[in-house]
Amino acid sequence: MTQLPDFNAMSDTDFRRLARDFVETNYPDIPRFSLSRLHWDEVKPWYLVLSQHGWICPTWPRDRGGMGLTAGKHLIMIEEFERFGAARVNDIGPVMLGPLLLKYGTQAQKAHFLPKILSGEHVWAQGYSEPGAGSDLAAVRCEAVLDGDEWVINGQKTWCTLGMDANWIFILVRTDKNVKKQAGISFLLVPMDRPGVTTRNILNLEREAEFCEVFFDDVRVPADHIVGEINQGWTAAKALLGHERVFIGSPRLSAAAITRLKRIAMRAGVWEDPVFRDRYVALQCDVADLSDLFETYVDKLRGGETIGADVAMLKIFQSELFQRISELMLEVAGEDAGLTAPPENDRQLHAAATYLSARPTTIFGGSTEIMRNMLAKAILDLPS
Amino acid sequence: MNQTMDEEWVENARMIVDSARAIVPADNSLERVRKVRFEGPGYDRTVMTQAGELGLFLMRVSEQAGGLGLGTRETCELARVLGGGLLPEPVLPAIAAGALLQENLPEAAMSGAQVITCAWQDEINSLGWDGGVTDGKLSGRKVAVQGAAGADLFAVVTGQGVAVLPREAVTVESADRLDGGLLSAVRFNAIEAKLFPCPGAQAVLEDASLAHAAYLLGLSERALEITLDYLRVRKQFDKPIGSFQALQHRATEMKTGLELSRAAIFATARRFDSGADALTRARGAARCKLRATELAMLISREAVQMHGAMGITDEADIGLFVRKAMAEANLFGAPRTLRALLARMLDVEDAA
Repeated sequence: MTQLPDFNAMSDTDFRRLARDFVETNYPDIPRFSLSRLHWDEVKPWYLVLSQHGWICPTWPRDRGGMGLTAGKHLIMIEEFERFGAARVNDIGPVMLGPLLLKYGTQAQKAHFLPKILSGEHVWAQGYSEPGAGSDLAAVRCEAVLDGDEWVINGQKTWCTLGMDANWIFILVRTDKNVKKQAGISFLLVPMDRPGVTTRNILNLEREAEFCEVFFDDVRVPADHIVGEINQGWTAAKALLGHERVFIGSPRLSAAAITRLKRIAMRAGVWEDPVFRDRYVALQCDVADLSDLFETYVDKLRGGETIGADVAMLKIFQSELFQRISELMLEVAGEDAGLTAPPENDRQLHAAATYLSARPTTIFGGSTEIMRNMLAKAILDLPS
Repeated sequence: MNQTMDEEWVENARMIVDSARAIVPADNSLERVRKVRFEGPGYDRTVMTQAGELGLFLMRVSEQAGGLGLGTRETCELARVLGGGLLPEPVLPAIAAGALLQENLPEAAMSGAQVITCAWQDEINSLGWDGGVTDGKLSGRKVAVQGAAGADLFAVVTGQGVAVLPREAVTVESADRLDGGLLSAVRFNAIEAKLFPCPGAQAVLEDASLAHAAYLLGLSERALEITLDYLRVRKQFDKPIGSFQALQHRATEMKTGLELSRAAIFATARRFDSGADALTRARGAARCKLRATELAMLISREAVQMHGAMGITDEADIGLFVRKAMAEANLFGAPRTLRALLARMLDVEDAA
C-alpha cells in the first residue's frame, strides 16, 4: 500500500486544487451528473481508480488505507467531486461498514475486511429494514441461531440500496426473542453467494431497480462473522458514526434542482411570468438560507466540534425543499408532466424524474416524521 | 475571514448585549412593555436616554467620527436581544441615523438627550427612498417612520443626501398600531436644511433592514421559548400537551425556521462586514427580511394556537408577541414586496 501524503497539512486552497485536478484527470468515461444511482457494472471503473490512488475511503485513518481527512478537507473533496458531476460509487463499505468495523470490529475482522473494501473486491449492501421493521427498526424478526460454530439465518431484509450489486451484506438479526426488543439484536456479516441467499429486485417509482429484497433460508455463516458482542448489535447499528450525516443535509440537491427549474421554466416560456417568479424567488431564498445553515455545521466540523442531534433539522428542511422545487417543476411542465420520456432526451429537463427522485429523501435515513419525534425530545425537551 | 476577527465580533457583541440589559430586563419581564403601550408615543423617552448613555447610538458611527465603529453582526446581536424583550423604543432607527450621519450626528442625539429617528421610506409597499427634495429644499413625505411621535429629530434620507430636521419643521401624522405604538408619516414642505452627502445610504438601509430582521428573530425566539414552556407544563388528558405528536411536529417546524433565520441573518451580516457587492447585499437583506417576517408571523400564530384559549386573552404575554409581529413584521417590506424585489434582481443576475 502506497503511503499517501498528509492532506490535512495542505492549505484548503491547495487541497481543493488537488481534488479538482484529481477528478478531472482520473474520472473514467462514465456518466456525469446522473440523476439516479449508477450500478456497479457502470461505476466500477471509478471505484477502482479511486481505490488505486488510495482515495476510496477519505475518512478512514491513513494507516488503514484511508486518506485520514478532517471533516473540513473531506467537505472540500465532496464539493469538487460534485462540481465535476462525478457519480456516487457503491459506498456502503467505505462509508458505513468501514467506520463501524474500525470502532466495533475485532483485529481479525479489520485485517480481513477493510482491505477488501479498499480494493473493491467486496461490495457491501446494508440489510437493516424488513417488511415489518421500517421506522420501527428494532422490530427486526430475521433470526439467527448459533448451531455449533455457525450462525443459521432465516428471514428477510428489504430496501437494500443497490443490493443486487453487492457480494456481501451486513444485517441486523434477532438473536434473543425474550428480552426488550433492542436488547436481542446482533450484527452479522454475510456473503451473498452462500446457499440459501436469494434476492429479488424492487422497481422504484421511476421503474428502475435501485433496491432489492434479500431472503435468507437456512443460510450458514461462521460464528466469527458477528460484529460486537452477541445481542449488542443495536448499539453498533444506531451509533451515528462519523460526520457524514451532516452531508445528507447539504444544499447541493436543492441547488442543482433549482438550476434545472430555471431551465425548465425557460423552455416552457414562463421564466418572465410574475406568478412563477414569485414562487421561484421564495424557493431560491430557501436554498440560500439552507446553505447558510449548512455552513454553520461545516464551521463546527472545521473547528473540531461534534455534531449534535439538531443536525436532523438540516435533513428535514433540505429534503422537503428538494420536493417543493420538484413540485413547481411539475406545474411548469404542464400537461407534459406525466410523460415518461425526458424532453429533448435531456433528463435534466425532465420534471417527473426530479419529482420522483425527490420522494425517497423524506423517507430514507430516518423519515421526516421520525426525525421530528426525535428533535422534539432531544432538542426541544418536550415530554414523552 | 480569519478566526481573530470572528472572535472579536463575538466579544464586542457580548459587551453590547450586556450593556443592553439595562434596557431589556434579563428576566424577560414584559411589565414595562405592557405599561407604555397605548400611552403617548407608545414608548418611554427616558429609555432612549439610557440607550444613548450606553453609547448604543454610536455603534455604527466610525471611530474616526468619534463612534464605536462596530459592525453589522454586533448590531444584529443587539437587535435580537431587543426583539426578545419586545423593546418599543426606536433604538434601531437611531442607530441607523448615526450610521447615515456619522460625524454629523447631533451631540444631543448621540447622548440620547434628544430622540432621533430615521425617515427614509417614500411610500407604503415600496422600498424607495430617494424622494424628499424639490428645488434644493426638503419637501415631501416619508412613511413608516418608527418612533416618530416621540422624536425630536428626524434623519431624512433623500436622493440628494441626508438632512436633520427638528420636530418643529415636520408634521407628524400617526395612527394607532396593534402593539400600542404608532404608525407615523412625516410631512415637510420647502424646508431649508443642509443635505449631508451620503453615498452609502442604500447600504445603511440594508443594514437597518437586516437589524430589523434580527429584531424579529429575537421576538420569535422568545415566543417559541414561552410556548415550549407552556407545552411542558399544561396538562390535558392527564398528560402534558407537549407530549402530543401533532404539537411536537409543529414545534420542530418552528424551531427549524428559527435556526434557518438565525443562520441566514448572521451569515449575511458577516458578508456585509467583509465587503459584499451590491447585488449580494440587496439580495441578502431582502432574503433575511423575508425569512424573519414569515418566521415571526408563523411562530406568533402557532404560539396563540398552542396556548389555547389563554392565547386569545390580552392578559397572556404571548399576545404581546402576536401584536408586535403584526405591527412590525412588514416594516422594511412585506413578503410580497420583498419577493417582487428579488424577482427584479433575477434580471440583474441574467444581465451580468
